[in-house]
Amino acid sequence: MNRSDLLARMSRLLKREVGPAVEADYPKTQAFLSAVVLERMSAELRLADAHSQAGAADRIALVADLDSDLVDAPDSIRTAFLTLADGGDSALCDFIEALYGEREALGRERFDRLLGRVRQDLRREIDRRMEIAA
Amino acid sequence: MSDRLPAEEVPEAIRGYLAGKTPGATAMVLRNLHRIAVGWSHETWLFDAHWNEGGEARSAGYCLRRDPGNALLRDLSDLGVQHRTLVCLDRTDLRTPRPCWHEDAPNVLGAPFIVMEKVGGECPNPWGREGRRFYAEAAERGVLPESFADTLATLHNIDWQAAGLGFLGVPEAGTDQFALGEIAKWRRLIEASGHGPEPVLTDLIGWLEANAPVTERLALVHGAYRTGNLLIEDDRISAVLDWELQVIGDPMYDVAYVLSDLNREGSDLLSNLVPRDVFFERYEAATGLAIDEEACRYYQLLYAMRSAAFWMSASGLYRDGRSEDIRLARTEWSIPVVLDRAARDLGY
Repeated sequence: MNRSDLLARMSRLLKREVGPAVEADYPKTQAFLSAVVLERMSAELRLADAHSQAGAADRIALVADLDSDLVDAPDSIRTAFLTLADGGDSALCDFIEALYGEREALGRERFDRLLGRVRQDLRREIDRRMEIAA
Repeated sequence: MSDRLPAEEVPEAIRGYLAGKTPGATAMVLRNLHRIAVGWSHETWLFDAHWNEGGEARSAGYCLRRDPGNALLRDLSDLGVQHRTLVCLDRTDLRTPRPCWHEDAPNVLGAPFIVMEKVGGECPNPWGREGRRFYAEAAERGVLPESFADTLATLHNIDWQAAGLGFLGVPEAGTDQFALGEIAKWRRLIEASGHGPEPVLTDLIGWLEANAPVTERLALVHGAYRTGNLLIEDDRISAVLDWELQVIGDPMYDVAYVLSDLNREGSDLLSNLVPRDVFFERYEAATGLAIDEEACRYYQLLYAMRSAAFWMSASGLYRDGRSEDIRLARTEWSIPVVLDRAARDLGY
């Protein structure tokens, strides 16, 4: 049995056996919510590889798409872009902040285009997280 | 935390404290003392005190809130500010619990606390089955929905300067200071939470800062005006509770919270209680304000940021071992839910 299935079994035990058997409100709530937490962690483990691969592919595509549109972009955006390929969520946050910081310099149309491309990835990432959280 | 008074020793400590605060009182006893399981930010105790004074039997009901030392919003929800706010509000037309005492020193209960008079009424949980039924039935009768709208209007009509509420901090009217100040406040909570980077949240904050509305009229803003934070007696609001998030700012901030579907569990009724047209009609008539739905849409996104900050802070408390309450751990998975909703409201 893998760890994801193990956590899912523990979650079911808490939800079906332990929680209903507890009388007092506070520990009963703790039992049921422990079941929910274990369920979420089980889902995270189960989906981790698939989500990681999808996220990495998305990032490669994002960098490729943005590259040609940033040739004459303000320095702060170019600097933030340099770490985007390998910098994880932190680098993406820096890039988004740089876009907002240079909103005026970019102009409305270009700002919307660049942010819109980033938002495509944000949408896909949040959809993946919602597979676990929803 | 090691100096905190254990829960079983709290009743006697409260009894001794009340006896000291009631000169001439003898034979002080507490009855019906119980801790209620509401809210995540403070411990709340309700009890009745009975004593003899001048040969007569006396009694009074009280509500005590104790700083738990490690709970959600702890750094943003100072009990001294709550007490001072209630003292100011006691001079206004708004129904609030009458404040009695504030103790900042930890020598009585091991942590700061405030004592208020107990107000009659009930506060059904709007998320539970019984609470939803309570509010649905009250909506049918029609009195409580009007009281809900009227009470918010009363709150926003308070002359906050005359009431002495300027100590809460006053943004400059005719500027975007209020919205930017709220963003800065919740940003600090996010940073203090130790949560990792969240690109959707970064986008949301960037959007909020770029689109902050100008606040023309300043009012006292409750910050969480909804069923569940209101005490109800005989189909009327007997007290507005939970003075933890109040600010001087844009009254549309409260209105946005009322209009939000976050607080109505799929019901068409605002806060599971009030028909939208009833709220608009009564609130606008009583305040002279036209509800600015565009501003409300902005503030609903600001609430999304605030919710994300709450959940980051809450889950961080559990992650860091500062709380054993698994409800806080659960909020880790509330963060993507809030961000998903914010992203949709931003158009993606």
